[in-house]
Amino acid sequence: MNTQQSFFERNRAVIIFAIIALLMPLWFPLIGGYQGLDTKIMIMCILVVGFDLLLGYTGYLSFGHAAFFGIAAYTTGIMLKDFSGQVIPAIVVAVVLSTLVSVVIGLLTLKRTGIYFSILTLAFAEMFHAMAMAMLQEWTGGENGLTGMMTPMLGSIKMQGAVVFYFSAIIAIVMFYLAKRIERSPVGLMMRAIKCNQTRLEYTGINARKYKLLTFIISAFYAAIAGALMVVYEPFVGHEFLGWHQSGEFVLMSVIGGVGTLVGPMLGAGFMLYFENVLSADIGEHWLLFLGIIFMAVVIFMPGGFMEAISRLQARFNNK
Amino acid sequence: MTDVKSDKTASGWSRRDVLKGASVGAVGAATPMFFTKNAWAEEAIGNYPVKGSEVVFGFNVPQTGAYADEGADELRAYKLAVKHLNGGGGMLDTLKPSKLTGNGVLGKKVTYVTGDTQTNADASRTSARRMIERDKVIMVTGGSSSGIAIAQQYLCHELGIIFMCGLTHSNDTTGKDKRRYGFRHFFNAHMTGKALAPVLSNEYGSDRRAFHLTADYNWGHTQQQSMQQFTEAEGWSTAGNILTPLKTTDFSQYLAQVMNSDADVLVLNHYGANMVNSLTNAVNFGMRDMQKNGKNLEIVVPLYSRLMAAGAGSANIDGVLGTSGWNWSLQDDGSKAFVDSFVAEYGFPPSQAAHTCYVQTLLYANACEMAGTFYPPAVIKALEDFEFTGAGNGSTLYRGADHQCIKSMLVMQGNSPSARTSDFDYLKVVQEVDRETANYDPSIFPGELGPYKPA
Repeated sequence: MNTQQSFFERNRAVIIFAIIALLMPLWFPLIGGYQGLDTKIMIMCILVVGFDLLLGYTGYLSFGHAAFFGIAAYTTGIMLKDFSGQVIPAIVVAVVLSTLVSVVIGLLTLKRTGIYFSILTLAFAEMFHAMAMAMLQEWTGGENGLTGMMTPMLGSIKMQGAVVFYFSAIIAIVMFYLAKRIERSPVGLMMRAIKCNQTRLEYTGINARKYKLLTFIISAFYAAIAGALMVVYEPFVGHEFLGWHQSGEFVLMSVIGGVGTLVGPMLGAGFMLYFENVLSADIGEHWLLFLGIIFMAVVIFMPGGFMEAISRLQARFNNK
Repeated sequence: MTDVKSDKTASGWSRRDVLKGASVGAVGAATPMFFTKNAWAEEAIGNYPVKGSEVVFGFNVPQTGAYADEGADELRAYKLAVKHLNGGGGMLDTLKPSKLTGNGVLGKKVTYVTGDTQTNADASRTSARRMIERDKVIMVTGGSSSGIAIAQQYLCHELGIIFMCGLTHSNDTTGKDKRRYGFRHFFNAHMTGKALAPVLSNEYGSDRRAFHLTADYNWGHTQQQSMQQFTEAEGWSTAGNILTPLKTTDFSQYLAQVMNSDADVLVLNHYGANMVNSLTNAVNFGMRDMQKNGKNLEIVVPLYSRLMAAGAGSANIDGVLGTSGWNWSLQDDGSKAFVDSFVAEYGFPPSQAAHTCYVQTLLYANACEMAGTFYPPAVIKALEDFEFTGAGNGSTLYRGADHQCIKSMLVMQGNSPSARTSDFDYLKVVQEVDRETANYDPSIFPGELGPYKPA
C-alpha cells in the first residue's frame, strides 16, 4: 500500500526531524540553549523513541528502563576506563550486554500486565541500582560515580563538543527512521494489536508473548544506545542513571509529549530538558512546582500531550 | 629552475603559494598585536579571557531534594559574598593577606548565575555546563555532598573552569578524585578521625570497644575507616561495623546487634536524615542509659551539623560528641565579621555550609587579584600553598599538593535543652583542635591533580 508513495512522502517525519536536529546548533542558542544540552536532548530522543514503542504502541508501561540505560552507561564507562578510549567497541559491548539483560528481565516480567508489570520492572531496576551503590562499588564507584575515563575517541577524532553532537544526532536520526520502519512493519501491527486486545490476538493463534518480548528488547536496545552515548558525551556515570527517578523521567517525557506518536516523546524530551536546564534558572527554586503544574495541565486537558495540542490546532486551521 | 617553476604553475600550485604568502603576510601584520595586547600572551582556557565589564560566578547548589535547606543557606552566603566583593564589608576587612578592594574583582563587577544540582550528579553536571557554555562563568562553586562535588570537579577540570567545592567531607574529593581545577576549604573524614579520636579517649577512656554503623556509600566508608584507624591508635578496639543502606529509615535491626555485642561505644557514621533517624532510634531503645562493660554506653556522631542536630532534637543529642568545620559562635574577627553581616542581611546566623561557601568565593576572588588575571593556571598557582588568616578557624593553609585546606577544627557537643539559648544554639564548641593535630600527609591517598592546562 505504500508502494505508490515516494521515499520522501513515506519518510517526511524523519526528514523534518533530521533537518531540525542537524541545524540545532544554529537555532538552539537563540532560545537560550547551549552546546551540551543539545547533545543530551538528542540522546534522550533516542531513548524515548524506543520507550514509546513499548509504552505507546504495545501498551506496556516500564518503570525500569533506567536499568538498561544505566547498565549500558556503566559498561561503556568501564570499557573507556580499563580497555581503550575508542568509543565504538565500548558502545557495542555496552549495548550487547544491556540487551542481553533485557532478554532475561523481559522473560521474567512480561508474564504480567498493567501495574504488576510496571512494579516488576521497577523492582529489577532498583535491584541494579542497589547493586551499583553497594555490592559493585569497586567497579561502579558507588555514590561518587564512575570517573577517570580516557578521553573518548572515534578513530583519531576527539569526542568533544560539536563532534559528539553530530555523532548523537546522526544516530538519533537513524534510530528514529528504524522506529518508523518498525511502526509500519508487521511487527508494528502486532504491537498495536497487543495494546488493543491481547486476548483476542491470542485466540487468532498468534503467539503474543513472542512479540511482547521482541518489543521489550527493541526498546531496551534503544535505551542502551542512549546510555552508552551519554558516557561518550560526558565521561562520567552517576548512580542516578540507574535510579527510579531516571525511569520516571522517561515516563514524564513520553506522556507530556504524547505517547504512541514517536514524535511526541521526542518533543517531550526536548521540552523537559529545556525546562529543567534553561527555564529553571529563570524561575528559581520553585521550578519543580511549575513543571508539576504543566504536567497536570497536560494530563487533565490534553491527555494526548503536545501532539494532541498540535493536531487540535491543525484541525482548527483546516476548518477555517 | 624556471622549468620547475612553470611546472608548478601548470599543476595549480601558484594559487596555494599566493594563499600561503597572504597568510604569512597577515600573521606578520598582526604580530604587533600579540605583543601590545597583553591578554593575547595567555591562550584562552575555559571562559578566559573575560570579556566586558562584568565577571560571572556560577553558584550551583541543591535547591530541591534532600539537601535543599543546606543549599538555600549556601546561596544566601554566596549572595552575601558577591555583595561584599562589589561593595566591601564582611571578611574583606579581616582576611589577610588580601588584595580585595571591595570594588569588584580586577576592576570588573561581580555578577552571578545560579543552578539547581538537585543532589543528583548528572543534573549537577548539566547545570554546571549551562553556566559554563551559555552564561560564560569564570568559576563554579557549590554542592552539598561529595558525589556531586566530585562529578562537577571532573567536568570543570575538563573544561578549564575552576571549581570551588562547597560542603563535601569525603576523603576522595581531595584524595583519589582530586583535580587540579578543584579546591576544597571544608575539612574531611580523615581530619575528623584525627581530631576526634584523642578527645574521645580523653573523655571516655582508652580501653573502649566501638561498634560502627556506617552509611553504605563512599563518604560513609571513608568516615568509618578514618574513625576506626584513629580510635584504634588511641587503644580502642572495634567490635564490628554494619553497612546500612542509604535509604534506611528504621535502624532497629542494626541497633539490636550493637546492643547484643560487647561494644560500649556506638559510632554513627551517618549524615543528614540517616543520622537523625539512627540517633533517634538509639535513644528510643534506651541505649544512652545503658551500661556495658561497667561503663556508660556512649554515642558518637563524627560529622555534626546544626541542621542535623536540630532534626534530632536537643534532648537526643545532649552531650553527644562530633566534629564541625566552623560554628557561628566563634569569636575570632573573621567569624564575627561574617556572622554580623549575615545576621544583618537575613536575620539569623549562618550554618557551616554557608561559611565554607562564603570563604571559598572570597578566596577565589582574592587569588585572581593576587595573580592579576583570571587566567586559570595563574589563579590556581596563587591559591596553591596560600596561607591566610581572618576567615575563621585561625591560620589556614590551602595545601598545594592536594588542594585541601589545612585548618583547625571544632569538636562539638550537643547542648541540653535547658542550656540552649536560641533556635540556633544546638551545639557547643568543646575544643578547638589546632591545625597541626588535624594535619596529615597528602601522599597517604592515591590520585593525581593533573595538568594546569586541560587536555
